[in-house]
Amino acid sequence: MSGENVLFESYVVFGRWIRKTLRNPPFLFFSLVQPIVWFVLFTQAFQRIADIPGFQQMTGTDSYLTYFSAAVIIQTVIASSMQSGMGMVQDMESGFLDKLRVAPIHRSSILTGKVASDGFRILLQTVVILILGAALGVTIASGIPGLLLLLFISAAFGMAWAGISMFIALATRNSEATLMISLITTFPLLFLSTAVMPKSFLPDWVQTVATYNPLSYVADAFHTLVISGVDWSVLGSALLVILAVGTVTYAGATVLFRRTVSS
Amino acid sequence: MDPIVDVSDLKKTFEPDIRAVDGISFHVERGEIFGFLGPNGAGKSTTIKILTTLVRPTSGTARVDGIDVMKNPAAVRRVIGYAAQEVGVDDELTGRENLRLSCRLYHMPSGQIDDRVKELLKTVDLGEAADRRAGTYSGGMRKRLDLAAALIHRPKLLFLDEPTTGLDPQNRRALWDYMKSLNEEGTTIFLTTQYMEEADRLADRLSIIDLGTIVAEGNPAALKADIGADVVEIAFKEDGHRDLQARARGVLEGLAGVTGVRDYEDGLAVYARGGSALVPHIVRALDGAGAEISRLTLAGPSLDDVFIKHTGHKMRVEEVRPPSRTIYGRRRRRTR
Repeated sequence: MSGENVLFESYVVFGRWIRKTLRNPPFLFFSLVQPIVWFVLFTQAFQRIADIPGFQQMTGTDSYLTYFSAAVIIQTVIASSMQSGMGMVQDMESGFLDKLRVAPIHRSSILTGKVASDGFRILLQTVVILILGAALGVTIASGIPGLLLLLFISAAFGMAWAGISMFIALATRNSEATLMISLITTFPLLFLSTAVMPKSFLPDWVQTVATYNPLSYVADAFHTLVISGVDWSVLGSALLVILAVGTVTYAGATVLFRRTVSS
Repeated sequence: MDPIVDVSDLKKTFEPDIRAVDGISFHVERGEIFGFLGPNGAGKSTTIKILTTLVRPTSGTARVDGIDVMKNPAAVRRVIGYAAQEVGVDDELTGRENLRLSCRLYHMPSGQIDDRVKELLKTVDLGEAADRRAGTYSGGMRKRLDLAAALIHRPKLLFLDEPTTGLDPQNRRALWDYMKSLNEEGTTIFLTTQYMEEADRLADRLSIIDLGTIVAEGNPAALKADIGADVVEIAFKEDGHRDLQARARGVLEGLAGVTGVRDYEDGLAVYARGGSALVPHIVRALDGAGAEISRLTLAGPSLDDVFIKHTGHKMRVEEVRPPSRTIYGRRRRRTR
């Protein structure tokens, strides 16, 4: 068995998940309706935030909509990545995982193919949000290279974050628990970051949390790309944070995955 | 020729102290249909999961096609096909897509996939439903699709874990026919079942397993012949009356021609050579002992009797599994 095989096998597993995803009505709902709701409701309700003195200086834009687009992406990525482990649990429950385990494939490709499909799904969802944003008047200051960087960061962040859900899924082997625990533990982080509000607008304790919150770094990267341009110091720290998160989540998830598939 | 499956003193203990498989040894010859007969929880699935590399045994050895399942599981996987009790079918994919996926997982060259899938769909009679999602299939169709997926790579050895559990008689018979023709084409089949009739009809040889140990082994005809007798089952009017039952037993054991008497449900099972000639004697003897008969049946020995003889109890077939959340979901789909 060679490395080439692992790639091919992961691709086969990946293809299965993509097919399932595109066929899944909740996916269409999450990717379309939810971002619309967020964009419209939040930006209407909080429109005037942009009028607060200092907003423009601090953020570089006078549009809360533009600023908030980063939060919409992050919110969608979190919600989507939290579904990652659910698929694994469903496969355990249905017996499909055993079918994969009996097949003459590297067992690691079961995990890599799944994670790659999560990344691809998140990429598609990000594209949808950017199209929506463009329709509402959000422009991307960094142009095409920035757009590609944004998509890359979004997918990479989604895959890293999906590791949390995968870890919980493999630990609990229960789909409801997976979704609930993942959402409860990660969703509040969105509001404790710089995604929704510039840092200095946040109460002191939230500012402290935001400083150590990985989502802030991803949000800052999105803000830079959308509002001002390619700033490698901001993007670099975001990528480092994503790498760190991914390393931690997959170190845990891989241990549990090995235990699950090898018995 | 060396046996295709060779198992020696295999044990599997689940935490904390459940001995699912408690030191079994058996072998499967090349080309035969080998049956593993036993009630739910007897250790059938655990054994099959060890042989298909899904579960590691606690101790003992198991070889499949000469390969040690613990030392080289990857090589074992290339030789075997496996259709699990749970039916590992992806409900969101169509029948055809499920099979195409399996082809790719078994590294079939893409040029051959379409033909092979078409051929298999035809084999299991799913041609017309091929492009419908598997989630819309009936239980029997799902089982057939799963069987087809297990055949993708033309395995030498096919493991079928309770292939007909939950199926109606018509679907059951259809699956029996597939299994027989597969076997005639040279595939060795290792089959677990809790249905006596199924084991009786299909298996060239079988092992009877109960509570994690093998209690009897041989071909069905020999096992039945081993009972050496017809079986007369007797139920009494005052049922469950211990004194009466003991008295009746004493009387029956004294009759010439009776080879054994066992408790059977609430009555007794009498094993006797030439049972039909003996029935009047039995009736008279019981009459004399003051035991009133409510029902008496005479039958040639069945695998039921073999099971009772070796375990001392009747095998209970449980269609409904313990209500665990995930299994419930599965069952509901399967029986639709």
